[in-house]
Amino acid sequence: MDPYYLALTTITLASIYGLLALGISIIWSSLGMINMAQGFTFAVSGYGAWLAAQNISTNGFVVVAAGVITGALAGALIGGIAFIPLYDKPNFPLRSLIATLAISLMGGQCLLWVFGPRVKALPKIFGFGNYHIGSAVASHDKVGSIVCSAILLLMTLAWMKRSRRGLEIRAMMQNPEGAALVGVGLRSTAMAVMMVTGAMAGLAAVLLSQNYFISPFAGTTPLVKGMVVALAGGLGSVAGALIAAILIGFIESVTAVGLGGQYVLITQFLFIIAVLLVRPRGIAGMIEHARE
Amino acid sequence: MTDILRVADLSAGYGPLGVLHNVDLTVRAGERVGIIGLNGHGKSTLLKAIAGLTGWQSGSIKLDGAEIGGTRSQGPGRYTHKIVRMGLALMPQGDALFHGLTVADHLDSGAYTPRAWRERKQRRERVLGIFPPLEKLLGQPVGRLSGGERRMVGLARGLMDDAKLLLVDEPSLGLAPKISKGLIEALMQIDIKNGAMVIAEQNLSLLEGKVSRLIGLHAGKLKGGAAAPETVLTPHTHHHHH
Repeated sequence: MDPYYLALTTITLASIYGLLALGISIIWSSLGMINMAQGFTFAVSGYGAWLAAQNISTNGFVVVAAGVITGALAGALIGGIAFIPLYDKPNFPLRSLIATLAISLMGGQCLLWVFGPRVKALPKIFGFGNYHIGSAVASHDKVGSIVCSAILLLMTLAWMKRSRRGLEIRAMMQNPEGAALVGVGLRSTAMAVMMVTGAMAGLAAVLLSQNYFISPFAGTTPLVKGMVVALAGGLGSVAGALIAAILIGFIESVTAVGLGGQYVLITQFLFIIAVLLVRPRGIAGMIEHARE
Repeated sequence: MTDILRVADLSAGYGPLGVLHNVDLTVRAGERVGIIGLNGHGKSTLLKAIAGLTGWQSGSIKLDGAEIGGTRSQGPGRYTHKIVRMGLALMPQGDALFHGLTVADHLDSGAYTPRAWRERKQRRERVLGIFPPLEKLLGQPVGRLSGGERRMVGLARGLMDDAKLLLVDEPSLGLAPKISKGLIEALMQIDIKNGAMVIAEQNLSLLEGKVSRLIGLHAGKLKGGAAAPETVLTPHTHHHHH
């Protein structure tokens, strides 16, 4: 096993799963909703990027932008259907879980209906070449994936840290009533959260589709992995999600290289079971005060 | 002289439980009003109803002439942010703080109008002048602070914007007597300008002689002094009002 190849694959996977997991984690802690439709957002964004590549341009920026914008719109749609009408009704966590699951299933069927069962491939936006750094070799699409997700993650984190809206989201993650008392409107903040996390899923979709095909239910596996990372990291913790993403990415690359790709989900689930047995609130249970 | 707060025929509660029964209350500009009552008699519910945070409520509440009350049977807190943006600051019991965020974040979060957000640095200085111990704690997460320090953060957060009406729920709750006194002193120093302040308190002696009016709250009804006075009394001219 080449340790360099392993590290590169780990970071590539970690950055993509991190985008999805962070979205799931932020939605849970600020809105109290488990978004089962994050996988649908992922699939729709893939098709959005594909449509842009077919009809507008195969330029990398256009394809990425189309995926990100489609993701943000899908996020807004999910927020409008599953959050706005339900959030102040009794039993909201369960109702929204079912609502987002329904969106996910219906959305997948709609994609199947509109685009058909044949898978689509995105253009290779980063090209086919390799970077040579000393004796090490890194393919363009891996480096491109890492750079793109790092840029979006850093932009999101800086926005959460510096802007008024980001402060409002962080406040809502900690105490919704306190947030209302400093003038934070739950609905508008919720829509902002849904659009930002949707954009993250959209970018993840474009990046992952450099190696996998786009299909109506392409979002299922990334959703499961995003959930695993978010849970293992401790729902609601940014630091925890990033640490867990690296661990999960590492396990995936080691399993794929050492045992074979078909064992990846098994080792990942064994890992999360082990984590949750030892730390029921995830890796970040002690780092931050996450929503309980 | 204008009425900052005019409550008429307010009833409120949670589920099947009625806590407030047909309450009328008027607070004028420049007044500091103390509401005195034992635990469970509706002090917090009165303040929460003004902020739209009770389970249900009915009756009229006017904040500087604008209606913020009305009949609502569900959705606690749904309109709270709008009421806050109209000029209300509620410092609730239990403080409603964000435990993982720093003191500086809390002060910034209190500056919700665009103007206050732009001026948040100057405003922070002003508020730190009222609560000097917070200066050294700015970078600390609030979860690590003591009870008294947290209360100061809650109060300071409410002072970052230009609220017309400040509602303070039991500033002394759970604090040592000396710290309570200090907090009340700080509340009395705040320049309320043309606004007003309502303090709910269990401990009569903390407020006696310091506020313009004291009103009793017993079993969900206000006792005496709930109508606005002809002139606003200040503690200098009137020491033993109750």
